[in-house]
Amino acid sequence: MMNIRHEQEIKQFRDLFTGEGVDEFENRFKILEVFLRIEQHVTIEELVDHLRQDKISMEPDFVEETMEFLCKFGFASKLKLNNGPVRYEHRHLGCHHDHMICTKCGKIIEFRDEALEKQQVQLAAAYGFHMLQHKMMIYGICSDCLKKRELIISLARAKQGEHLKIESFAGGRKAQMRLASMGLRPGDIIDVVSTQGGGQSVIASGAKRFVIGQGLSRKVMVKYTEDSQSFGCHDIDDSAGVKPVKLMLLSEMKQGQEGIIARVGGHGVLRRRLLEMGINRGTKVHVEKYAPLKDPLEIIIKGYHVSLRVEEASHITIENIVRENNS
Amino acid sequence: MKQLTIALAGNPNSGKTTIFNDLTGARQKVGNWPGVTVEKKEGRLKKNGYDLKIVDLPGTYSLTPFSMEEIAARDFILNEKPDVVVNIIDAANLERSLFLAMQIVELDRPVVFALNMADLAKSKGMVIDTEKLSLLLNLPVVFTVANKGKGIDDLIDTAVNEAESFPDGKKGRKVIYNREINSMISHLVEELDRDFKELIVYPNRWTAIKLLEDDKVVKENLQQISKERAAVILKHSEEFRHRIEDLFQDDPEIVLTDECYGFIAGIVKETLLISSRKKADISRNIDLVLTNRFLGLPIFVFFIWVMFQLTFSLGAYPTDWINSGVSLFSSFLGGILPNGLFKDLILNGIVAGIGSVIIFLPNILILFFCIALFEDTGYMARAAFLMDRIMHIIGLHGKSFIPMLMGFGCNVPAIMAARTLESRKDRILTILITPFMSCSARLPVYIILAGTFFGDKAGSVIFGLYLTGILAAIASGRLLRATLLKGADAPFVMELPSYRMPMFKSLMIHMWDRSRMFLKKMGGVILVGSVVIWALSAFPRNITFSRDYSKAIDTIKNEVSSQILSSKDKTLKQKLKNEARTKIAEIEKKREQERASKSYIGQIGRAVEPFFKPVGIEWRSGVSLIAGLVAKEVVVSTIGVLYGVGGKTDPDALKNALVHSGMTGLSALSMMIFVLLYIPCIATVTAIWKEASMNWAFFTLFYTTMVAWSASFLVYQTGLLLGFI
Repeated sequence: MMNIRHEQEIKQFRDLFTGEGVDEFENRFKILEVFLRIEQHVTIEELVDHLRQDKISMEPDFVEETMEFLCKFGFASKLKLNNGPVRYEHRHLGCHHDHMICTKCGKIIEFRDEALEKQQVQLAAAYGFHMLQHKMMIYGICSDCLKKRELIISLARAKQGEHLKIESFAGGRKAQMRLASMGLRPGDIIDVVSTQGGGQSVIASGAKRFVIGQGLSRKVMVKYTEDSQSFGCHDIDDSAGVKPVKLMLLSEMKQGQEGIIARVGGHGVLRRRLLEMGINRGTKVHVEKYAPLKDPLEIIIKGYHVSLRVEEASHITIENIVRENNS
Repeated sequence: MKQLTIALAGNPNSGKTTIFNDLTGARQKVGNWPGVTVEKKEGRLKKNGYDLKIVDLPGTYSLTPFSMEEIAARDFILNEKPDVVVNIIDAANLERSLFLAMQIVELDRPVVFALNMADLAKSKGMVIDTEKLSLLLNLPVVFTVANKGKGIDDLIDTAVNEAESFPDGKKGRKVIYNREINSMISHLVEELDRDFKELIVYPNRWTAIKLLEDDKVVKENLQQISKERAAVILKHSEEFRHRIEDLFQDDPEIVLTDECYGFIAGIVKETLLISSRKKADISRNIDLVLTNRFLGLPIFVFFIWVMFQLTFSLGAYPTDWINSGVSLFSSFLGGILPNGLFKDLILNGIVAGIGSVIIFLPNILILFFCIALFEDTGYMARAAFLMDRIMHIIGLHGKSFIPMLMGFGCNVPAIMAARTLESRKDRILTILITPFMSCSARLPVYIILAGTFFGDKAGSVIFGLYLTGILAAIASGRLLRATLLKGADAPFVMELPSYRMPMFKSLMIHMWDRSRMFLKKMGGVILVGSVVIWALSAFPRNITFSRDYSKAIDTIKNEVSSQILSSKDKTLKQKLKNEARTKIAEIEKKREQERASKSYIGQIGRAVEPFFKPVGIEWRSGVSLIAGLVAKEVVVSTIGVLYGVGGKTDPDALKNALVHSGMTGLSALSMMIFVLLYIPCIATVTAIWKEASMNWAFFTLFYTTMVAWSASFLVYQTGLLLGFI
């Protein structure tokens, strides 16, 4: 059936192009033949390769020009997927199909669903809209890639639109504290809103957006969740009434500020020392002052004064920060 | 008489040492500097027919094995099993004090709580219900006000009573952990009961909790008993730790600590009544000035300046008196003792040796008084607070500033003071660079040399030397931190205790204690060293002199007597006599000089001459540097002998001799830099040996010599190139 249709197209092509007086008809015709033979979405480069296999050598510019003609006369159509190179596909008249595009391997699946087509017409009509034509592309991950993909990846590798669960924070304490101070914790469900913008990722957790630089995003280990289809519109109603808890590192607090300890990080001796001095979760802390050389700082905790270095204070996360009234 | 052992435990600054002093009257330091009592101190007390041994444990915040103090305290309670532990609790810091208290209770010894400084807490608006506290903890609680001596008798009676009632230990009320953790603890306890019967000396519940906390010492203990059985139980405890992490989403240490503080918070809520009437926090107001952003450092520098002025300017007067006293005593002995080797030993060996030590006593006393004052008032912690940023540059803790500062007085107590540092690496680093702090014994050398060769600029030169020492310390600190002593610094987290009015008695005890330590440790070593150096310079006895000095003297004597006989004028006779005396003295000095140069030490000096030559130090100075190993002040007296001005250092004569010997300003500078940087005295090396290790002591010998030689070489050769002579 395909071949019959191709036969028809070659015939039409011959009629149209000779009528238009296009130069180098024979060469362009060869391109069409090869293009029609390939039942794939091809780029110019790939087309040149295919031509070479048939011992036809042609300049890419010429091939591109020809393909533009083909598009112009409705024999081919351009597909531009995910910032990738321009691909061309056959355009069969009266024979519409849609595409599913794998964002991982770039595989394109053509599909046609009558119910969907009807639904689209009805939908347009419901809005009083007269549909002339439509393109539908569904981006996602193909079944092969889905099987192959790792369960836990870093956020930097996650694609736009992914729906993920934060598994853990890698990297040093500082990175972890940065993330914790932003209000991200392991177990949070996040949506990747955008991965554009120079390596920055915009993610959403609940109704909050976070911008995470590339470096930091590499340290967030995320896991694919089961309900990958739900696109980010959850929990908004729940979280609307909850006031977000502002977190800050003790080292970032100013003189005179007060807060409650949310987390004590650090390792070994430092952590132990902090804990035994009574610097533990839930304790109120008041920043008394910084030393003349800005380091260390003095805090009041459980009614007594403790000094610690700024670096050490950066292991302590504080919430519910208030400025002292009388200062 | 029945013997009982009482251990005193408590947080730093809880007044523990004051109670110890009240109990025993012993000479014992009291300070606000966290962790001032590093050594285990004991005292005895006879009361009500009991012979009580009181042991002062180091002040700690918990009994984890992270610092020497904590290990010492914990091991004492676990291994020595004191009959009763008196836990001193700072009433104003009830919550934090109870954290340590709960750990002590876990060790299953009878415990008595001394609620100290409740009067101070009351003034802050805190009232503690002792009866309820006692009931909740199932332990006796006694009120004390240590600095006024209140409640001490009561405390002792209660402690003795408790020790007698529970001779086999007592199980107090312990922290109740949540169900999961509790079941883990009981599981581990069962396992310990079954597999580790040898460990029965330790409370099994305690061991189990420590396993959950991943306590390395406890783990090692188990492994020492049996590797296989330990592997099994450690595997289980590791599984439990993972389960805790899964359950609570946090480290087991944090979970256990939180649980413990939760338990404590409950007790505090029941027993502590905080009234709204709060008295102004005086301490906080003082700190508004003393640790002020702008005033803090200038005030600190001023205090240090005052301390040095007192130590060296005020100390100069008694030093002079002692000096004259020693001279008088020496000449008195010289008059009554028969001439000979024995007299020489007594005068030049022993008296000179002891004299060189006690001459520094006034300086040391004043310096230690100032430091005791800083500690007892609580300013020392502020000094660390102010200086930490700077010390951190060298990779050191703010606390290291104190030992290094003390190094200006004497390196030996300074090295001992480095014990306040928790991390071994920090401690060793501080110990290694402290000798570059120019100690007071080096000052006489500078005074003589700089005074002779730099005149009016002597002050600046000496200041420059001190600065050079500091720079050498900084450079060495950074170098060692980057090479041999790599690793993260110890946490700085440190309490800033409330300012307190120092008690005169305590200051005196403090000062005397340290000075005595100095005299004892130093006296012995320096005495031995002086005798050795004396022997080296006094032997061999039969030296073949280049000319016959005795004969020359006889000739002069004969000439003079014949001249005197022939002349009749009395004044002329006197004049002739005087002339003869000077001549004879001159010849005797020359003989002494030659004798010294041919003595063993002179031979050593000749042997090492090539070593000193490139740095512009001639052999006589080289010999004095070797002699200076005993004590730096010996350098001056040795120079005196070798340059022919006699053992007694008459400054003017020595100056003349030095100038005439061909020493130049440049070589004097080179010599001073060498004295500043080279091997510290034997006593210091001994201190390093004891506090760090033998290897570090040898390292110091090698390293300091290398640094000193390089620095002097650089200065001397550069000076020569630039045309200074």
